[in-house]
Amino acid sequence: MINPITSIIKNWIEPSSHIIDFGCGDGSLLKELRDQNNILGYGIEIDPEGIAGCLKNNIPVIEKNIDEGIDEFSECNFDVAIMASSIQCLKEPNVSLKKILTLSNRCIVTIPNLGYWRCRIALLLGRMPVTPSLPSSWYGTKNIHLCTIKDFEDLCRDEGFIIEDSIHLNKNRKPSKFSLIFPNLLSSEGVYLLARR
Amino acid sequence: MRSERKLHSFDSGITLECGDILKSFDLMVDTYGNLNSDKSNAILVCHAFSGSHHAAGNSSEDDRPGWWDELIGPQKAIDTDKFFVVSPNNLGSCFGSTGPTTVSPDTNEVYGKDFPDVTVLDWVNSQKMLQDKLGITSWAAVMGGSIGGMQALQWAITFPDNVKRSAVIAAAAKASSQNIALNEVSRESIRKDIDFCGGDYLKKNTFPKSGVKAARMLAHITYLSEENMNKRFGRKFQNSESKVGEFVDYEVENYLQYKGTKFSEFFDANTYIIMSKAMDGFDPAKKYNDELKEALKNIKAKLLIVGFKSDWLFPPDRGKEIQLAAMQSGVNSSYLELDGIQGHDSFLFASGRYQKNLEAFLEN
Repeated sequence: MINPITSIIKNWIEPSSHIIDFGCGDGSLLKELRDQNNILGYGIEIDPEGIAGCLKNNIPVIEKNIDEGIDEFSECNFDVAIMASSIQCLKEPNVSLKKILTLSNRCIVTIPNLGYWRCRIALLLGRMPVTPSLPSSWYGTKNIHLCTIKDFEDLCRDEGFIIEDSIHLNKNRKPSKFSLIFPNLLSSEGVYLLARR
Repeated sequence: MRSERKLHSFDSGITLECGDILKSFDLMVDTYGNLNSDKSNAILVCHAFSGSHHAAGNSSEDDRPGWWDELIGPQKAIDTDKFFVVSPNNLGSCFGSTGPTTVSPDTNEVYGKDFPDVTVLDWVNSQKMLQDKLGITSWAAVMGGSIGGMQALQWAITFPDNVKRSAVIAAAAKASSQNIALNEVSRESIRKDIDFCGGDYLKKNTFPKSGVKAARMLAHITYLSEENMNKRFGRKFQNSESKVGEFVDYEVENYLQYKGTKFSEFFDANTYIIMSKAMDGFDPAKKYNDELKEALKNIKAKLLIVGFKSDWLFPPDRGKEIQLAAMQSGVNSSYLELDGIQGHDSFLFASGRYQKNLEAFLEN
């Protein structure tokens, strides 16, 4: 079964687009896009397991720490950049996102929503939230810059990123009607299609 | 592991990049493993500066393991249960293939200093003739470290339809000024050895041993990392029983003296110069107005570029340049940066990630 996020992302990408996936993990998303839509995408990853996974999946991968800068990709002419659940792991997410939108026309970002009601309840009860989209314990997580849906949309407004489309997901990572009404409270994740102004 | 050593003769000859023609030439070739029925499992491994056809297993001649024995063999990264590994000695080398120490059919004397300059492209062209002779249409992979990696890259550029994967390890798209400078110091020490005789030493029954030794001692340092040297030798004094000479104080001196002497006993001086010139001259982007991405744009092979953090001869950034240019040209290319502490020599040693990733690269 295809991951629902993958289907959303697929709908936003034109066939034969030039793609770069920042924090691509084992390359499963790029593999899906390649197998279904015939798109050659490159992955950027820092985790050795993920890199080995990409090579196994026959996905081109570049071992790199995004925090060290991504200027070298400026002449690669990407149509779409993807940051699926990786932006919150960066040292300066706002700076990186801004940079990405200079080297790619569009950027698809997914964020785990700290404003999700389950997270709020966990915090009310005095605990760090552990949810399907935030599965790690506080000491094991790579997330250093978590935000809520509202925070993220504020950042987009402040930086002048255009939100061309967005979809909010429930705890099963599926688009839900309820999340439409109060996305910041009712969605566990947000998926955004951003464009530069 | 099935292994075979064979001298392949090419009577049709070859025109070299410098314009000279070798009317005929030989390549000494080792093979490991078995070629499958559709000849689709052949991997060409290209040796570096001082390497030879002997890449894997213990040779009966010198009873030493091959230069890539840690990676080639049954169940190893380049698995000879799956792949048929072809490992030629390069043209201009001194281990059985035609080079300065072989007899020229024109003069019936050893070539010596008159052996023409060869380039990485010449090696690749001669390896293509070997590929044709073996009846192989496309290599499953061409792989190599250092100048071996340069050959792997050249293969992908020159024969896009005859190579499916190319692993460019601890290499660069061209030698840097520092690389050339270091090579020139080595060459100078050879040329200034009184026994070099302008390159005609074989005809005079002598050999510039001390020149080759000094050249190798310098080069050897460039293959190691500072960290590794500190770990291995530190400032330890050499014990007096195993000193190569009274002038030696430290272990590192003794080690280099020993390694240099051994090298000078088997490596030809003119070959040293030819190999180092081939490395200096490598620059596939030159024909494309120094635009590497233009040079790479016809590549059909999948590329894997590997750099080692402790390598200061061809540092990781030199590998990144290749991958970036390949990506700009839309070539399927990956880049790995590995920890190996052995400096440039890291490419010779099997380590967890290195092995695992090479395996994965060859699997798909």
